[in-house]
Amino acid sequence: MLSRVADSLYWMSRYMERSDGILRMLKINYASSQDDINEFSWKPVLHIFTYLEEEQANAIEHHSRAVLQYMVTDKENPNSVLNILTKARENARSVQDNITKELWQCLNDFYHAVRDEQLVQWLHKEDPVTILDTLIKHGLLYYGTADITMSRGEGYAFLNIGKFLERGVQSADILDVKFSDRDFDFTKTDTTYWKYLLLSISGYELYLKTYRSGFEAKNVVEQIVLDENFPRSVNYSVQRLYTYFERLKNQKNAEGFQKIEFLIGKIRSRVKYSTVETIMHQGLHAYLTGIREELYEVANALDQYYFAYL
Amino acid sequence: MQTTELLNTYFVDSGTWDEMYKDTAVREQYKGVVEFMQQLNVDELNRKEELAKRLFMSQGITFTVYSSGEGIEKIFPFDIIPRIITAAEWKYIEEGIKQRLKALNLFLKDVYNEQFILKDGVVPVEMIYSCPHYLREMHNFPVPYNIYVHIAGIDLIRNNDGSFYILEDNLRTPSGVSYMLENREITKRIFPDLLPKNNVRSVTEYTNILHRNLVSLSPRPINNPTIVLLTPGIYNSAYFEHTTLARLMGVELVEGRDLVVSNHRVYMKTTSGLQQVDVIYRRVDDEFLDPVVFNPGSMLGVAGIMSAYRKGNVAIVNSIGNGVADDKAIYTYVPSMIRYYLNEEPILKNVPTYHLDNLEEREYVFGNMNKMVIKKTNESGGYGMLMGHTASEEEILRYKVEILKNTREYIAQPIISLSSSPCYMNGKLQPRRVDLRPYALCGPEGIQIVPGGLTRVALREGSLVVNSSQGGGSKDTWVLAG
Repeated sequence: MLSRVADSLYWMSRYMERSDGILRMLKINYASSQDDINEFSWKPVLHIFTYLEEEQANAIEHHSRAVLQYMVTDKENPNSVLNILTKARENARSVQDNITKELWQCLNDFYHAVRDEQLVQWLHKEDPVTILDTLIKHGLLYYGTADITMSRGEGYAFLNIGKFLERGVQSADILDVKFSDRDFDFTKTDTTYWKYLLLSISGYELYLKTYRSGFEAKNVVEQIVLDENFPRSVNYSVQRLYTYFERLKNQKNAEGFQKIEFLIGKIRSRVKYSTVETIMHQGLHAYLTGIREELYEVANALDQYYFAYL
Repeated sequence: MQTTELLNTYFVDSGTWDEMYKDTAVREQYKGVVEFMQQLNVDELNRKEELAKRLFMSQGITFTVYSSGEGIEKIFPFDIIPRIITAAEWKYIEEGIKQRLKALNLFLKDVYNEQFILKDGVVPVEMIYSCPHYLREMHNFPVPYNIYVHIAGIDLIRNNDGSFYILEDNLRTPSGVSYMLENREITKRIFPDLLPKNNVRSVTEYTNILHRNLVSLSPRPINNPTIVLLTPGIYNSAYFEHTTLARLMGVELVEGRDLVVSNHRVYMKTTSGLQQVDVIYRRVDDEFLDPVVFNPGSMLGVAGIMSAYRKGNVAIVNSIGNGVADDKAIYTYVPSMIRYYLNEEPILKNVPTYHLDNLEEREYVFGNMNKMVIKKTNESGGYGMLMGHTASEEEILRYKVEILKNTREYIAQPIISLSSSPCYMNGKLQPRRVDLRPYALCGPEGIQIVPGGLTRVALREGSLVVNSSQGGGSKDTWVLAG
């Protein structure tokens, strides 16, 4: 496979994962804003997902519609869903002959849906949940189409490497900012807050089934970092990353393969041999920072050994 | 409103050959389509037009126009009413194009090697040496199977008596074939069952034939040669076409930066190291192909690719330097080439063409500017054209001044009216001028032409310029089985 093609598939996939993460997070935070006794603040969201200055964030932190518009359709926001999808589509366009026609069309339709000029108005006037749901469904269609139509070759491996690397980073991000945001007292119980945190990454039902009891910080951390069955956990993402990377083994790129296998193996062990107690002991923020940095190291090594073509 | 009313109010200009109507009678080959349309009301017709647009958009059959820093997706305008060619007409066109292409390939081989045609004075030597597309780099180099033109797009027009003329040969990197293929796919969706009912011949073989030809050109005698389609990249207006062809043939779509030349061989950079490339179907112009030999500023090409080509380590399609054969001044000599190389009379006629470096012809043209179209010899895509009948006095004067600066760079042709075809526009049927570009494929086993082509439409009322870069659209083109 051409290095450039591998690179584009990987980035297309990272951007698609990112757009999905942002849309889900927006949907649940919006729901949460309708449910809050105190005035809901979008600050944590703006903190993780935008580059806004403190004052700019302060200006819109209590205005859900303004935040939604900024995060979904704003052309000036490099991390808006619109801009992320544009990048995903540019990448897809340059590898159109390496993805199925169905996958291309589905991504292309998604792109046109976000570009629809009426969307801005709808976000202003209509029910935001309906709109976000529609967009999320476009994303689900993309995942399903990739799953059902793409051949299980090298391209598929790169798609998934991008997807799970991005997901690992995102889950770490969400957890980190949510907790570090408010000088978190881990002993305090704040049910609404955790409920929405879990909901935003589709982990609420699993939490209830696993822990049955009320909300406890360490359980939430355990599920989002360590649970091997929770598809958004750091552990799950890293395991999948490892599985798909292993599929590149038979290639002639032995040096690069070994280097990256080593790097992913390191994160795997770190996550595997952590317990919630050791994480809390080390400090959640320090732990998550470490994971993120190691994931970025993998990304850089992929650039160097697999995608370099200039 | 019923569509019958639309058909009844269709008005054909009396001095023009209309493809669908002869006076007020529907031509035989269009009866099936007209009957089908009569069953529809205008709302239904509008919905079909909507569906066509949506399909183009959703499939990303679009080109991007960049304005105010933002990309806007546009579709190449498509008219839902097909253009139909009878079996007899097609037979004539097919034979004519095959004959012409055979002669043009012989001409290229000759002009880059022995140059008999120049020595015999059939084509003047100055014509060749003054042509910017004549490349000395191609001298005395035996191209595989003596094929220079593997893919040709030959533009035909129809005069007011219905006879076909060759307007232009496109022998470098002719584009538009993906629209021949996609337009047909759209027709299948908007007019269910209509194609088989009318005995329309299929065009899908195109990419199979092309792929077979590319494989047979591989310099390495291996089962699975590496074939690539070289594109200038996603910002090229024909990028959609490049991806479509690569996908339909299952070949790798590469950009210049994916390729590297080492020891006179071309390789592509893959995730498992370098992989040798055998055949390159390039959609990058000669000038940009190799920065070492041609334009040193080119970012689109591959340094050293010419040396690999000349060593015979890679096949390049179309060959390099073909521009000398589709230059608009050389065009005049194609009938003579056919007589010279094949000893046959040309089947398809040329449009009469005046050379402006010939004093007598120039005087005549200058005296009749309002009946002439002036073209730049080395431009394509409808650029550098002056239509004398609509041009203002100042424009004509400016062109005369330009022509006198370099008479070799311009030719003149009498304005030919072009046949018209009904188009469904703004809820009305309106006559618009069309041309026809069939695509001929030339391989070691001969020349094949898929029964179809691209019908380009001049969308502005009365306009005779069909180029897509000048606001042209297209139609699905049906060739009927006998």
